[in-house]
Amino acid sequence: MNRRIVIFSSGYGTLIVFLFFLPLIFSGPYHIHILILTMINIILASSLRLINLSGQLSLAHGGMMTVGAYTSTLLVMKLGLSSWGALVLAGFSAGVIAYLIGFPFVRLRGIYFSIVTIFFSEMVVLTAEQWQGLTGGSSGIFNIPRPYPIVIPGVLKIDFSSKVDFYYLALVLMFVSLLILYAVENSRIGLTLRGIQQADSLAESVGINTAGFKVLAFSIGCFFAGLTGGFYSQYISAINPDAFSFLFTIYILVYMTVGGADRFVGPILGASILTILREVSRPLKQFEPFFFAATLMVVIFFIPEGMVGLPERIRRAVGKLFKMRTKGA
Amino acid sequence: MLEIEGLTKFFGGLAALLGVDISVKPGEILGLIGPNGAGKTTFFNLVSGVLRPTRGRVVFEGNDITAKKTHHITKKGIVRTFQAINIFPEFSVIQNVVLSCHLKPGVGLLETVLHTGGSRHKEREILHRSQAILELVGLDRMAKVTARNLAHGHKRILGIAIALAAEPKLLLLDEPLSGMNAEEVSEAMRLIHRLWQRGMTILLIEHNMRAAMSLCQRIVVLNFGKKIAGGSPEEIRRNPEVIQAYLGAGEHAT
Amino acid sequence: MSTGALSQSILNGLALGGIYILVALGLTLVLSIMGIVQVSHGEIYMIGAYSIYYLVAVLGANFLLALVISTLFVGGLGIVLERLCFRPFRGQPDRAFTISIALILILQNVVLSIAGGNPRTYSSPITGVLHIMGVAISWKRLIIVLVGLGLLIALFLFIRMTKTGQAMLAISQEREGAALQGMNIDRISGVAMFLGCGLAAIAGALIGSLFSISPTMGGFALMKGIAVIILGGLGSIPGAVVGGLILGLVDGVLPALTTTHIAGLIGFATIILILIFRPQGIWGHE
Repeated sequence: MNRRIVIFSSGYGTLIVFLFFLPLIFSGPYHIHILILTMINIILASSLRLINLSGQLSLAHGGMMTVGAYTSTLLVMKLGLSSWGALVLAGFSAGVIAYLIGFPFVRLRGIYFSIVTIFFSEMVVLTAEQWQGLTGGSSGIFNIPRPYPIVIPGVLKIDFSSKVDFYYLALVLMFVSLLILYAVENSRIGLTLRGIQQADSLAESVGINTAGFKVLAFSIGCFFAGLTGGFYSQYISAINPDAFSFLFTIYILVYMTVGGADRFVGPILGASILTILREVSRPLKQFEPFFFAATLMVVIFFIPEGMVGLPERIRRAVGKLFKMRTKGA
Repeated sequence: MLEIEGLTKFFGGLAALLGVDISVKPGEILGLIGPNGAGKTTFFNLVSGVLRPTRGRVVFEGNDITAKKTHHITKKGIVRTFQAINIFPEFSVIQNVVLSCHLKPGVGLLETVLHTGGSRHKEREILHRSQAILELVGLDRMAKVTARNLAHGHKRILGIAIALAAEPKLLLLDEPLSGMNAEEVSEAMRLIHRLWQRGMTILLIEHNMRAAMSLCQRIVVLNFGKKIAGGSPEEIRRNPEVIQAYLGAGEHAT
Repeated sequence: MSTGALSQSILNGLALGGIYILVALGLTLVLSIMGIVQVSHGEIYMIGAYSIYYLVAVLGANFLLALVISTLFVGGLGIVLERLCFRPFRGQPDRAFTISIALILILQNVVLSIAGGNPRTYSSPITGVLHIMGVAISWKRLIIVLVGLGLLIALFLFIRMTKTGQAMLAISQEREGAALQGMNIDRISGVAMFLGCGLAAIAGALIGSLFSISPTMGGFALMKGIAVIILGGLGSIPGAVVGGLILGLVDGVLPALTTTHIAGLIGFATIILILIFRPQGIWGHE
């Protein structure tokens, strides 16, 4: 028991330290931007996975990010709220909306649930475009103020004037989000969600309020989408209704699925590898989409369980190779 | 304990169940038999809240539970098993039962996420209770096996264990013996008898005539959605209408 | 609203309806025969539009010739996709779905990298206006309605009168039974994809004659196609026709009465309400 804890914490400890010092290695603003995007995508893909645990594929993340972005922006710019409060409320606004639309939505099975979530996202875009007085219409809102400075007298002053400050904020958000998502998944809630996905009516028959749990998963997942949207708006300083389009949501879905929807680390892997892949292959210009396409196809065809399955497959292949060698000898 | 009055269900123009009156006395095993399509599973679906009746009332221990949601009905004390999807296939046997202990003691959402001392205590309790249930049904040696890898007979027993975890006052067993071989049938019948001896009230749908006759104190017969007979096993066995119903449908009493 | 404006809106609606019907039919064909919700259907539609753009606006080809070439090209693309991407996963709808999702990204990005993100336009083969009973009817829109009608009739005849068509009908109703009867599911799935993608390509070509095209136009078509199928009832061809007409007319007339955004909101809200309260649509069975 003690040995496991030591290995566990030293492994994660090293990772945390590594991530903490990463901006020193990749210090250019472009690189920092990629890292921030990667962390955002990790939060999004992982929160999508929580909803997916209950067997429901949500495509509402784009719409929820838009809700969070506008909520945070309007709270800060129109009501003068602290950017930190606005950030948290961005998450809650998305979570509350998810809770409200959740009950009618989760009654729909399979693909129909996904379809209404797509429609929801579209409706968010249309609402943002229509309500010009509030949201600035199609052009959106510019000059969103930076997050309020964090000041510890004599020790720290972060005023978010440089990208690196946002990197650390994103890092903290990512850790907190992943911690919460992991805790929920490994609690009885996670067990219940997985039970609902395997046998919905059976779960109901032992007294589980299946609709209630599905809405809970949906709300928590969308909370993180809203939170991310709020962060994004404070980072980029501008938002518009189209920022988190249908295509954007599809990318998140692909990160989760190709990374491996069955394991917690799957979306993290998928989001990191694919986000970085996209950026790294940018110099290839015309060929970038083909490269990305090839990667997706290879994983989907040959590693159905997602990228998480790769280490195991390699191990097995090497093992087989080794056995063949020793047999020959 | 359970009073069913005039229970009726129409699917479009088709009457699956027509004016059925049944009462279940506490502590008895009541059998529900009838040819295929007689409406037995529809009856269970109506009582357990999976379907809403077109007409009629379901009253349990004085509470009207007609058309309530299934998880509410389970809370009131009626738990059913299923013929088809009756286990959580990807979980281990013990996990199946642990999950099914959802209602008692009732672990709160926040405390489970925070893994508080209170929640860990409850989970230990749940684990003990689950192990006890597995011992009762005879699956304790297979606690770690993944449920989908179980033999068919054991899967059905697991289905009963899952229902027991929800601490039912009234247990609705939907063809628990289906697909079992002779040895498994004997084991299962012994289990059902043991449950009854401990005071469980059971409503049993069964095609296996011999089992139904030997386990049940009373039997109700359905045909084409209507109740055509009710009484002791001997009375039912001699009832000409019942014999006609089975011969007419090409069924053979085993 | 004046009669002139109203009749314009109605004509707009009919033209949109025609396009929606074509998209929905293609989607339904693939769904009922291959059992897959082919979500990259919208990108196929978009590729159809871009093929016309390259043939007509860049190479200067005759519109009709371009339409034929592009339909064959996109239909052929459909056959390739069926063979490479969907046939290996027959019977595994989840993985097939993942592939279609991936295809959305892939197809859209490929077109984006070749054609760039700026909207393009090309013109309809016949411009000008027809005057009937004092109402001005633009040829652009009339053509769409006529082509839509023509294709519907052709499809109807195909299903009724050819062996392949009859086989497709059988498979759509009972997939396993049809396979047992010795029907060549491989070949017929190929035909279904060819027809489905061909219809989408024609729809894309037609809408490009009305509005400008962009690599992201596919999402719109997918959503309308799904809305039509929900409205009309899953797997029902008459349902798709009626649903498409209703949705098209609503989309044509409503924006004239209120803003396009509110019209869109009403449209989506209606479909959501239908899904919640009458999921079988107008024509479907429970």
